[in-house]
Amino acid sequence: MSEAEFVKVKYRLTEQVARPGGMTAGLASERAQRELAAHAGDAMKSLGNMIGRLEAMAREKSVPLDAVYEEGSTILDIAGLFDKRVLCDACYSLCELVDRQRTHGRPDWASIGVHVSALRLLWTKDGEDPASLKSVVDGLWSITDRLAP
Amino acid sequence: MALDPKIRINLDRSVVLLVDDNPQALEALTSMFRGFGVRKQFKSTSGAGAMHVVKTQELDLIVIDSSMPDMDGYDFVRWLRREGPETARFTPVIMLTGHAARSTVEKSRDSGANFVVSKPFTPEILLQRVFWVAKDERQMVVADGYVGPDRRFKNMGPPLGVKGRRKDDLSTHVGVATDPNMDQSDIDMLLKPMKAQL
Repeated sequence: MSEAEFVKVKYRLTEQVARPGGMTAGLASERAQRELAAHAGDAMKSLGNMIGRLEAMAREKSVPLDAVYEEGSTILDIAGLFDKRVLCDACYSLCELVDRQRTHGRPDWASIGVHVSALRLLWTKDGEDPASLKSVVDGLWSITDRLAP
Repeated sequence: MALDPKIRINLDRSVVLLVDDNPQALEALTSMFRGFGVRKQFKSTSGAGAMHVVKTQELDLIVIDSSMPDMDGYDFVRWLRREGPETARFTPVIMLTGHAARSTVEKSRDSGANFVVSKPFTPEILLQRVFWVAKDERQMVVADGYVGPDRRFKNMGPPLGVKGRRKDDLSTHVGVATDPNMDQSDIDMLLKPMKAQL
């Protein structure tokens, strides 16, 4: 085994960010938020469609767990860019649950179904009563944590 | 600790590659970087497409989603750091992650990305990581099992202005001096050491 080599790297980005001009970080964040807001409606619609596909999977109970994981992971990816924290937490719990189930080779469609129904509820109630919605997510995690990682 | 909103940041000459297999997520990312003032962006929905961009363009930053079919973000960074074009091999990379499946934990640790941002995140968080990358002074480690930034953050402490998370991180607060001030002749001696006669 050869020894590790250490290389000093100078990024062009370092010089670029410090060039005169540009904008304040506050303004850049605000502009990005505004740009992002233009996509929020379409994103929410897509999330609704994806939850619909998960509902169909949970009804059929025959698809491979990988398919459920992939769909859940995509919801997390989209919702995560729009800072939908509660939906992300619930989706993370679903992904974790399915990952644990496939690791142990023990699919449990009932617990997946509860997660999917909760996702629909959280999607419908987006932005409403954060404390109640958080308690729903806590409940999901208590289901997920019944199965050891 | 959040990025100081008054800090000026100029990304209008930066060339950024954004990679996400989901076109909607890719559009959202594009919007964020447009908001940050990045004018030149390349987009790709696959690892193979991203490899092509890396081979043909000079990039300043790559932002890639970890979870993609065929070649995921981890495999892409591994390729970039080991087999990528010489000039692009150490291009800074921010990895975006959703759920970390057990099978990907090791890959994630060893991928060689500069920073990992877990979803959900806000534009502010992403901008902060871009800023951190720009200020990242870690050396690149090239070893058999790993090519990427030195992961031993511990010796450097947290980034300036950021409270450390480890219990033994040194405080960024300088505090009151404990030694008496040096007089000017002592300072001069330090700045201009003279030959000592032996």
